[in-house]
Amino acid sequence: MSIFREHKSSADRSAADRKRHKAKIDKALREGIKDVIADESIIGQDGNKKVKIPVKGIKEYQFVYGENDQNKKAASAGDKQIKRGQVLRKKGSKGKGKPDKASNKAGEEYYEVEVTLDELAEYLFADLELPDLEKKKFKFIKDKKPKRSGYRKKGLRSKLSKKETIKRKIRRKKRAIAAGTWNPESGERFPFHEDDLKYKHLKMKNENNNSAAIFFLMDVSGSMDKEKKYLARSFYFILYQFLRYKYDNVEVVFISHSTDAKEVSEEEFFQRATMGGTIISSALEMEKDIINKRYHPSSWNIYTFYSGDGENWSFDNPKAVKLFEDLKNLSQMICYAEIDPHSHLTDRLGGGYNFGMQDPLNQDGLWYDLLPLVGEQFKLVKINKSSQIWPAFQVMFGGKN
Amino acid sequence: MKDWTVKDLQDWDDKICQIAKEKYDLDWFPIEYEILDYREMIGAMAYTGLPTHYRHWSFGKTFERTATRYNLGMEGLPYEMIINSNPSIAYLMLENPMSIHLLTMAHCVGHSDFFKNNRMFQDTDPDNVLARFKSAAKRVQKYIEDPNIGIENVERILDACHSIQYQVPRTPGIVRPDGNIFSDRKREETFPWEKDDSLLVDDKKDYNLLRFIRNHARNLEDWQKDLMEMVERRSSYFIPQAKTKIMNEGWAVLIHEKIMLDLELPDKYQLAFFKSHNQVVRPIVGRINPYHLGYTIFKKIEREHGFEECKIAREVHDDESFIRTYLDEELCAELNLFSYSYEKSQKNYSINDISDKEGWKSVRDALIKNVGLKSVPIVCVTDYDKRTNTLYITHEHDGRDLDLNYANKVYDYIRYLWDDDIFFTSIIEGEVWEF
Repeated sequence: MSIFREHKSSADRSAADRKRHKAKIDKALREGIKDVIADESIIGQDGNKKVKIPVKGIKEYQFVYGENDQNKKAASAGDKQIKRGQVLRKKGSKGKGKPDKASNKAGEEYYEVEVTLDELAEYLFADLELPDLEKKKFKFIKDKKPKRSGYRKKGLRSKLSKKETIKRKIRRKKRAIAAGTWNPESGERFPFHEDDLKYKHLKMKNENNNSAAIFFLMDVSGSMDKEKKYLARSFYFILYQFLRYKYDNVEVVFISHSTDAKEVSEEEFFQRATMGGTIISSALEMEKDIINKRYHPSSWNIYTFYSGDGENWSFDNPKAVKLFEDLKNLSQMICYAEIDPHSHLTDRLGGGYNFGMQDPLNQDGLWYDLLPLVGEQFKLVKINKSSQIWPAFQVMFGGKN
Repeated sequence: MKDWTVKDLQDWDDKICQIAKEKYDLDWFPIEYEILDYREMIGAMAYTGLPTHYRHWSFGKTFERTATRYNLGMEGLPYEMIINSNPSIAYLMLENPMSIHLLTMAHCVGHSDFFKNNRMFQDTDPDNVLARFKSAAKRVQKYIEDPNIGIENVERILDACHSIQYQVPRTPGIVRPDGNIFSDRKREETFPWEKDDSLLVDDKKDYNLLRFIRNHARNLEDWQKDLMEMVERRSSYFIPQAKTKIMNEGWAVLIHEKIMLDLELPDKYQLAFFKSHNQVVRPIVGRINPYHLGYTIFKKIEREHGFEECKIAREVHDDESFIRTYLDEELCAELNLFSYSYEKSQKNYSINDISDKEGWKSVRDALIKNVGLKSVPIVCVTDYDKRTNTLYITHEHDGRDLDLNYANKVYDYIRYLWDDDIFFTSIIEGEVWEF
């Protein structure tokens, strides 16, 4: 009595709605990442390392009752013995697992998504483009790959190009007809000739690889306190991830300095604290030296990032400016980041990346000496708090929000 | 491996329908079964079974969640899905064996009979529901493709409307003293502001927040109002199902059990049927299984008052009145029901009451407070100042405080729709709360 029929499904009906949902997750993820980058410091880590990103859930909000003792619910206990006051489970703990902190705070507004650093970089930088990549000679030839390179008369049977061979036979046939040496109506075969045979030729070719050398320079003198270093580190993290994402081959050099410079490991770089004054030129000179010895600009794309709190011994300023200019000519990009979490003035002047804006209270200092250099290759940024890291990054590399 | 043909389905269906009609005098809409694979089933589920439904990202989310959970083996797919329409559209999953199909078909007869007879459904217009959803889907698509509107704007309105989708009247059929049913459409005429310009009369409340905003917000464009009406009509179509989940499932289980036993199934089906049936009607510890609860109550009614009483119950009750009328101490204890809540100070859930002589009523009341739409707070219009275009809305506090995090978000949505001043009050921890 009922009717039976095949379901007529419109090809994958929910595809469009799934795509919209995915777009929302991606957006939430990107927003979550911006909060998280300031907390991560994983330069040099394997791209497969996983980080947890809190994502604002794609929730559908409605009025609901709060979880409290007025909100009583009922359930069946099956065949289990129960008594009043019995504790059922801790909130948020799922069986044996640890309590899920992220989902507990802020009323379960967040959930965590685990992504690898590679994915993270992809999310971060999908919208951005590196400034004009000049084609360089590359130091490394990472792998040689066979590439097609025309045809040859001799070769292996498996490399025989049927198309080219037949083309030649047809050409020869037409010539024969024109010359009257072969009559198509005669029923006679027109066989392949050895001259028709063409073989695909492969040649080993060098795959161009783009290599980048990143120089992270930092002032570790007494005035660079923990908070400043933390900001610098966060900034470097995102720079590193970006360049690693864009280049196949990335090498990082860490140079820390106070009155003199030293090439250090990543770990030392962020830990090293010294007393004493600040001579920026010492680090710049060392970089120049290292570039000359190890990373010649003809084979390496060089990126230089300097961060400090803006303090320098004033006699050193002219020298530092000169060196910055030299390095600017060697580098794809060079950035001078002034990190000052205690500056409220810059906040009022409209964010921490107000390069080009005159600080009315302080007209001298390295910052102002460097202003004439600002351009495509030379960037000045100020970072006063972690939320300015991402905008600073965008100032440097452009891109959309 | 398929152990059935469409011919098998037809033959068994004839027997099922014959028993349902002749032995139990059921009255249901003709059923049209669609045979689909599991992925299509998940797709249909995402849109609550409707063959056409307007687009919204939340259905994509539902699809992903269901598909993930199913693929991970976290949950199976339901045996049955049937739509309240005339004819009723139901789905049979290609991968299921014949024994499951038999159960599903008998079960669907129960549901369709319930849709046709329960008074909560009388305003759902099952004859035209499919056409209505189809037209809504077309219009939404049109707005999405309209270069002056676009998907972002459509989503903004739908997101906001969905946040208050249940802030519409929840009593589809109220029995008037003269015995006639007084439907929602007629009821609106009794509100003065629907007809003339007079303001809200004291002690009048309008429970149709969605419609009130649609009618009185000053900056809404026609396409926005159209979307709002769509969501409202969708809600009034689904609310009866939400209000009768326990009864509807209980009734369908009761019916499929009877029919399956009457069919005198061959052994190969019989055993598999009992296995599936027992899975459906077992209690789930720590939760309420609506199939189990509804079925158990109907069994009790049948035991004490006969099957005819069951049929009357399926006509006149919703879950709330059903439970209030028939769930007694004995049954509470048999079901081993308890009430529990979250103790903020202890940061844990603990049992408040169990189904003994002192506790069963409080357990039953906790249950009632969470059936159907009882778990969705009511927020209604209490006043409207036409001069300043200020909307006054209030949460009807029933002892349970709102979750403020959610309430704030929804408040933002309401403000987005109303686009003018709103006074929204509730009670939080015993004190008046103004948003």
